[in-house]
Amino acid sequence: MSNTWYLYLFFSAALVFAGLLGLLGKRNLIKLFICIEVVGKGVSLLLLSTGFAKGSMLTAQALVITYIVIEVSLVATALALIINIYRTTRSLDIRGLAKLKG
Amino acid sequence: MILQTALLIGLVVFSVLAILLKDLLRSAIALAVSSLLLGIIFFRMGAPYAGVFEISVVAGLITVLFILTIALVHKGDEVRESRLVNWAFPLAFVVFLVIDALVMKGLIGKVPALASGAESGTFGEVLWKGRTLDLVGQIAVILAGVFAVLALFRKRDKHE
Repeated sequence: MSNTWYLYLFFSAALVFAGLLGLLGKRNLIKLFICIEVVGKGVSLLLLSTGFAKGSMLTAQALVITYIVIEVSLVATALALIINIYRTTRSLDIRGLAKLKG
Repeated sequence: MILQTALLIGLVVFSVLAILLKDLLRSAIALAVSSLLLGIIFFRMGAPYAGVFEISVVAGLITVLFILTIALVHKGDEVRESRLVNWAFPLAFVVFLVIDALVMKGLIGKVPALASGAESGTFGEVLWKGRTLDLVGQIAVILAGVFAVLALFRKRDKHE
């Protein structure tokens, strides 16, 4: 069981790190949001694999489903926000938002 | 186990592609493929409900939302990315993978994950009886999302 858990932890850490690297380097708003999604994938894999290793699969599934529902709500709001930002700045560049500084 | 490892490698590869590809539409499709692979991994781990949600909601609905947004903001997708990212990302990622492989084995015994007792009942009982407050929270979050989208797309008055 420990080897399987190691494998899942290894890959979920890789996903979270890839998402964080993208968040640090990318400038496109949609791309940044895709990076957040990748981090989320790593976290849900971590949740379920821990449930798998510790024998509490049903609770882990319930938590992952809760996370997915929250993710949908987050995506809808964030994409609406991105469309509104695009309407205002005519660009998806995150640096364009620096103009909003007071 | 070999198939599961292959699926996990595919998941990471498509997620990295989603981050690195220049075309936003291709990025969204790569993200959808990675969600699909994650759903299959969930199925194979013995979590069919989470797998169904992952495939139908994340690979389906969220991809549609992404593609819709990309279609709406098509002219703005020529954002100039930093050149540093193109070579620094793969380098940092490979370095992290090596560190991850070396360190994670030692961390496993120290990860504070509770070893719960054997679970009884069905998934429905756990979700509806054990995690009732989660469901109330989910309803609140969905309503918050709906109101946020309504507020963001509200028509402006002529006087404003």
